[in-house]
Amino acid sequence: MRYVLVDFLVELARSIWLPVCLLLLWLVVSNGSTSIYFPPLADIGATLVRELFVGDLGRNLLLSLYNLAVGLVIAIVLGVAFGLIIGRAEKFRRVVSPTLNFLRAVPPAAIVPIIIIALGVGAAPKIFVIALGCFWPILLNTIDGVRGTSPALLETARAYRIPSHLFVFRVSLPAALPQIMAGIRVALAVGLVLMVISEFFGADAGIGFYITDASTRFAIQETWAGTLLVGVMGYVLSSLFLQIERRLLYWYFQDGNNASQRQSNRRRIKAGGGQ
Amino acid sequence: MNIMTTVKSPAQPKIKSLAVEGLSKSYGQIHVLSNLNLRVEPGEVISIVGPSGAGKTTLLRCLSGLLPPSSGGVKVGDEPVREPVAEIGLVFQDYRGSMMPWMRAEENVAFPLQGKGVSKSVRLARARECLEAVGLPGVGDRYPWQMSGGMQQRVAIARAIAYDAQILLMDEPFGSLDAQTRFDLEDLVLSIRRRLAVSIVVVTHDIDEAVYLADRVVVLSGHPATVIDTVDIDLGMDRDQIKTKADPRFAAYRGRILEQIRRPKPE
Repeated sequence: MRYVLVDFLVELARSIWLPVCLLLLWLVVSNGSTSIYFPPLADIGATLVRELFVGDLGRNLLLSLYNLAVGLVIAIVLGVAFGLIIGRAEKFRRVVSPTLNFLRAVPPAAIVPIIIIALGVGAAPKIFVIALGCFWPILLNTIDGVRGTSPALLETARAYRIPSHLFVFRVSLPAALPQIMAGIRVALAVGLVLMVISEFFGADAGIGFYITDASTRFAIQETWAGTLLVGVMGYVLSSLFLQIERRLLYWYFQDGNNASQRQSNRRRIKAGGGQ
Repeated sequence: MNIMTTVKSPAQPKIKSLAVEGLSKSYGQIHVLSNLNLRVEPGEVISIVGPSGAGKTTLLRCLSGLLPPSSGGVKVGDEPVREPVAEIGLVFQDYRGSMMPWMRAEENVAFPLQGKGVSKSVRLARARECLEAVGLPGVGDRYPWQMSGGMQQRVAIARAIAYDAQILLMDEPFGSLDAQTRFDLEDLVLSIRRRLAVSIVVVTHDIDEAVYLADRVVVLSGHPATVIDTVDIDLGMDRDQIKTKADPRFAAYRGRILEQIRRPKPE
């Protein structure tokens, strides 16, 4: 148990030392700044805390996170479902693959204006945009993951006459899960961007709206506060995601074959520490 | 290992024979197997040996229904094998690859039973029973990657037994294990055949192993491969790694097979 705690602290220190240093640097350099556009970080921080707990920022943030969560869940459900189907249907995949790659290549941010025009204001168009943008990386990764299932496992499943529903949920899905999680990780980043951008147009609430609204009102500190909050949000969400991934893919990270990269990293650190 | 007796299936079905009739297999222009005939009687242990590249694995894949033959066929009892059948349990050479790494050992063993519609408690109980029968009591909650190669291959054997297979097909099952582990697993195979109503077909390139395990050794050779010899092994049911292998008859069988594999008869 003690080692788990030590590992955790070491890992935490390793991942946050640089951001902390940069923040401190910013804090020091900006201290006493008189520039309108670059106020002291301490002031921004104070504004952030005030807006979050007293002002509107908290409510706006929750609204945005709700859109992100719903959009992401829709994308995961549809992306994984279609991925499992397309990944197994090789002929079908070859037919649709060029189309999928084209659609994936369209920058999701570029479709935001047209969606907003088409679907109007409110949460629905934003959720739609997020779901659409998150869908592609999840779909394509799921397809790759399913196709990458080891031939030995496929053969074992055939030899033991595993029926298709069991095969899909207990062989294909877990076999593709490492890839699926990688897809979701990408989708999370895409979703975060879309969450903010989708609120730049025709919105009256949300963190993106808060930032643009503050900037048009020339409320620089609020603009900074909102922007910083988005950054922190992104970091918190991706850390949270890593924790979930580690739980879910326990077998994958522990398995020596897959973890060789990680293991060798650890060994290098140990060797370094011994010098 | 009297624990074996507990593994017998509740209602022991009559074991079926496995028959290979005029089996040929080609991949395009490459003819791998040519007109093979072979019969595995109920309860019999057969080894198939041949030089590497002789098409042993292709034959086993045809036997299991994983690979359709080009002509001729395979029958279990009176039923032709076109797809994998419930009577056959496969043990792969690649034990690592044939285990689901996201399932614990007992889940791996129980998984095929889930496909048969066996309820969870029954199939897990059976999995534990079969793991015990292969000498792995109390390791059901380990993941495959937490086990040695020998243990993983025992799990694979347990899976085939739990599946209620009447015919175990083993493809180079112990080829990538160290000598001591291989001996232990060979003895496990012998103990399974003594205690369970199963036929066993082992494909191997190891002639000692082929003779030690089998009632009959089938020697494959040539391109395309044909059966060039069938050797009845008369060493009794109780065999011992040291005594049996020191037996002059063992040496004679071994020599006879080795000679044919080293110098295939001219066609």
